[in-house]
Amino acid sequence: MEDIHSLTTTHTQSRRFKRPEWRQILPYLLIAPTLILVAIFTIYPTIRTFEQSLYEPGTSTRDATGRRVQGEDAFVGFQNYADLFIPQTPPHPIVGSFMQILGNTLIFAVVTVSITLPLSLGLALLMNRAIRGRSLWRFSLFYPVLLPLIGGASMWAFLYGNTGGLINTVFRSLGIGTQDWLNTPDLVLWSVIVVNIWKQAGFYMIFYLAGLQAIPKDIYEAAELDGASYFQQLYSITIPLLRRTTLFLLVIASTYAFQTVEQLDVLNRGMPANRSNMLLWYIYQIYPSTPARGYVNAISMVLVVILFFFTFINFTFFERKDDDGQ
Amino acid sequence: MVNRRNGWSIVADITTMVVSLLWLAPLFFAVLISVRPSSDPLTVGNIFFGRSITLENYQRALELAPWEWHYLTSFLVVVGVVGVQIITITMAGYAFARMKFFGRNILLFVLLIQLMIPSGVLVVQNLTTMRQIGLFDTRWALMMPYWASAFGVLLMRQTFREIPPELEEAARIDGANIGQILRFVYIPLSIPTYVAFSLVSISARWNEFLWAAMVTRSAEVRPVTTGLSQLFSATEAGTNYGQLMAGTILVVAPLVVLFIFFQRRFIESFASSGLK
Repeated sequence: MEDIHSLTTTHTQSRRFKRPEWRQILPYLLIAPTLILVAIFTIYPTIRTFEQSLYEPGTSTRDATGRRVQGEDAFVGFQNYADLFIPQTPPHPIVGSFMQILGNTLIFAVVTVSITLPLSLGLALLMNRAIRGRSLWRFSLFYPVLLPLIGGASMWAFLYGNTGGLINTVFRSLGIGTQDWLNTPDLVLWSVIVVNIWKQAGFYMIFYLAGLQAIPKDIYEAAELDGASYFQQLYSITIPLLRRTTLFLLVIASTYAFQTVEQLDVLNRGMPANRSNMLLWYIYQIYPSTPARGYVNAISMVLVVILFFFTFINFTFFERKDDDGQ
Repeated sequence: MVNRRNGWSIVADITTMVVSLLWLAPLFFAVLISVRPSSDPLTVGNIFFGRSITLENYQRALELAPWEWHYLTSFLVVVGVVGVQIITITMAGYAFARMKFFGRNILLFVLLIQLMIPSGVLVVQNLTTMRQIGLFDTRWALMMPYWASAFGVLLMRQTFREIPPELEEAARIDGANIGQILRFVYIPLSIPTYVAFSLVSISARWNEFLWAAMVTRSAEVRPVTTGLSQLFSATEAGTNYGQLMAGTILVVAPLVVLFIFFQRRFIESFASSGLK
């Protein structure tokens, strides 16, 4: 049976594809569009970013006729990186705030991730029960995931507004002291963090929901017979069995946190005093200036390395299993 | 642990409702303030409604940015990206799922680099590329970088692998060529995956802002998110929230409506998008 089967296949194949080279070229033709685009928009710019991060852009001058002439770029090795990471007095004129902004980005990532993940687990536990009005609750928790970041954030701009904003209006009527949520230096980064927690919690919740539904019910029944309370079951069964989901979410949430800056456009644009500024937004702010070009590329490389680190973990831990399974 | 009805489960029900309503509040109040007359700040009348309901905020928000162009651009970009992606991911997905060829694993890895280095961090170089190929400030610049999707290829590869190879062999015996095999065997059996991928891709493109703000200048080729950004810059900081929220609703409404119709589908699709 097996033999006849394979014979037929070989026979038809040789008849369909008379020229053997066509059969050999076809797969490359099928993947060529995708690979060419990846080469143009991912691989080439990565290489160029690294290359240009090693140069100091030439200063532009005017020649005798008054036309602007761009000077030659000068190779400076890792000097651009040194300028970013080694503090100077007085602060570097272009990238003096880099360390502060890197710090903001790290705080943003760590705090957002470490609050959002436990929160989404809590939400998943709540939603993984029989409850009336389920689809309304699910809609409420998940819709922020879909919104454009700038759209979600602009709703918060209204909530946070200093004089006409909702939160302060409520506070005032309750006699609680108001805050200028987006203009107080010590507060602004936290205000931004809250927006991102609100935006992402529903997304991670669905992964925890899937994880919870995969846990066999009889484990809980056995624990119940042994007299384990709800919270004992949570700590000794549920959380350990969700470890894989948690690890996976940790990686994607961290990756996401380093790239999310669009909310800043409507939440005070990194101000005051760069206290809510983050790396990608900083790049967006300084890229139009020619003297900053080397630095823009160096900062981009810093982000590439950070993100590559997280996604690399993601693939080594999670994709391998997927491939072995086939 | 699941369906036990006691005091705790009532506490849990109430917590669920409170948290959900808290999550819904930003959208809820954005809608309310968008129909509240600008002459009635929150302190006039109660916190939910002003003294009347008005659409004047929408009128003025519409006047402050060329929304008809923004909508057209966003729509064309969504269609132009998803349409091409469907073709590229089908071709590459099939090749990686069902064909044996020299260098397959290396080429797959090259493709995966797209997932490891998100395009967001390469914006500045890609901007230079767009200038060099003369596509700066065109809608093409908003579409081209997304025509290839490593995530989509992985998704289709996975889906195609689950289709019994016997079906393809039977089609071959009937004399079907590669195009017909895809058209009549693989694609019809993978519709749910295409729908899932499209929903994720549609919302990603509709929501794009940073790249669009950098690579376009003319209002005609800018998407809706930049319209909202422009509204924020045009409106005196902290003064006219009704107008700002009207603009916000204009931008988010299409997705929220789409979500209401495809709620379960959307959630499942986003779950699979996390698996990239």
